[in-house]
Amino acid sequence: MARIKTGISPRLNQMLEELLEGIEDGLVPAWIFNDPELFELEQQKIFSRSWVYMAHESEIPQAGDYVLRYVANNPYIVVRGEDGVVRALLDMCRHRGMRVCRAELGNASHFRCPFHGWTYRNDGSLVGVPAEREAFGSGFDKAEWGLRSIPRLEVFDGMIFGNLDPQAPPLEEWLGEIRWYLELVTKRSPAGLEVLGPPQRWVVNTDWKLALETFLSDSYHTLMTHRSLIELGIAPKDAKYAMYGEQIHIPGKGHGSMVVGAPPGAKLPPFWGYPEEMMERSKASYPSREQFETAKETRILLVTLFPNFSFHNPIRKPDHKYQGTVPMLTFRVWHPLGPGRIEIFSWALVEKDAPDWFKEKTRHSYLRFFGSSGTFEQDDTEIWSHVAHNASSSQGRTLRLNYRMGLSLEPDPNWPGPGVAYGLNFTDANMRNFHRRYVEMLLS
Amino acid sequence: MDRTQALLNTLYQEAELLDEGQYRQWLGLLAEDICYRVPVRVTKERGPEGGVSGVMEGMYHLDEDYTSLEMRVARLETGFAWAEDPPSRLRHFVTNVRIGDPQPTPQGEESAVRSNLLVFRSRWDRPDYTLLAAERRDVWRYSPAGWRLARRTVILDSATLPTHNLAFFF
Repeated sequence: MARIKTGISPRLNQMLEELLEGIEDGLVPAWIFNDPELFELEQQKIFSRSWVYMAHESEIPQAGDYVLRYVANNPYIVVRGEDGVVRALLDMCRHRGMRVCRAELGNASHFRCPFHGWTYRNDGSLVGVPAEREAFGSGFDKAEWGLRSIPRLEVFDGMIFGNLDPQAPPLEEWLGEIRWYLELVTKRSPAGLEVLGPPQRWVVNTDWKLALETFLSDSYHTLMTHRSLIELGIAPKDAKYAMYGEQIHIPGKGHGSMVVGAPPGAKLPPFWGYPEEMMERSKASYPSREQFETAKETRILLVTLFPNFSFHNPIRKPDHKYQGTVPMLTFRVWHPLGPGRIEIFSWALVEKDAPDWFKEKTRHSYLRFFGSSGTFEQDDTEIWSHVAHNASSSQGRTLRLNYRMGLSLEPDPNWPGPGVAYGLNFTDANMRNFHRRYVEMLLS
Repeated sequence: MDRTQALLNTLYQEAELLDEGQYRQWLGLLAEDICYRVPVRVTKERGPEGGVSGVMEGMYHLDEDYTSLEMRVARLETGFAWAEDPPSRLRHFVTNVRIGDPQPTPQGEESAVRSNLLVFRSRWDRPDYTLLAAERRDVWRYSPAGWRLARRTVILDSATLPTHNLAFFF
């Protein structure tokens, strides 16, 4: 009980001790997936101090372009100013608190509050106050009443992150060695990525950590959760296909990746099945030869950033009859709404300089297998919601769940990338690493 | 029975097939060149001319052709499609049907049909349910075997979907 912190109830503190003690033994108590008090602590200790993914630069390419996004429960207008600078402005009028943005996306030079008419330029500065002299006198200084910017905002290869903590470490330090794996996607083309339209948004009665764990580490679920697609010949016939890969975590950071190649004996094209011209361009754009060589052998790549961002980049095809391969890329934010409830933001992305036919087909590869109607993801959300429901029951919450897969594995000394890598993807190593970081942040 | 009445009957018959999970038979009502789309809808300001707002070009919840719809149906038949197994209790309420005048096309006579849709979804033994409202903008094509759905665009009345997946059809 040495770690007891002020401000945390004895009940919660004891529960966190239980989580902390269990991690190295591969035991995670179910209550962490649905608990109101823990939810509040997560909001305060994790989502108010972490770099949270907000938007991609390609969503707001022109001056004045904006999208509305959330960090914890705060609405932010992520907007490109006339000066080209990307900002995130709290969508709350400084006068009396009304929201000043009335759309999820668009282009605006100014945001005018519908309550009393205070008007802000798209860099957040207050420029219009109705009857300013009569109402507030001649000493009113508009410079003091601009929209509040998010405390920190940084961009990595087009990915816009925000942080509510002014004291947070720089994004680069936060990301650490996971950059190598992010770059396998962000630097695949010298032109970078672009979104294919706005995100799908939908709610699921589950916990953000359950969704995240699946993308971070759970290659083991594919054989049963996604068996329907194996039956149809859409996923590889070898139900253990996701096992043949490398699982990598970044100690101390909570981030992780899964890099899956071709199952033994399976003839799959190199480089996710991307068109050859795209693979050629990547030779020059990848920062290192090791990244290019790794990309060449990759068929499925997932990267998850602590706390709630994932991307998934698998070889696919638009339907079961399509000849050839059209891989897809989706970005995710697992946004917590309340205990046992999340909103999923799901984007499809593609290389900016990909051929037009490919952009059309990759959208289909995405929509038919992932996202709100995806035939893989439908079954994930169904299952996640039941786990979270069970985690709220008085008996269920006391169960310690099994995170022991791969506990005895030794790291792979030959893996060319950074982080701690295991040569077998059937392991919960990334989840254990995530939970270590998770408890550490909750208790600090 | 005139063709308009037959078309109305077909809409109700389709709803029955979707309610009862008779998806293989539902496929029989679709034209082989069907374009079936559910665009993402977002909150937008009112445009100067009013009208339906925030229907996005380029991103969808569903963007299907006959092959992909057949794939989704085949998946539901595997016995491992957990999202709909056990199946949801679904009810499709089809109202405000507006049938356009038939137009000759190279593929046959086609009618534009707009209808309002309310889908009720209840799962497992819980008393809660989800409701999704939408307008369907269809094109139905007449064939000697009956009316076939050639195009459907579903204008959802939700920006953020209140249900955990779209494992069913509109």
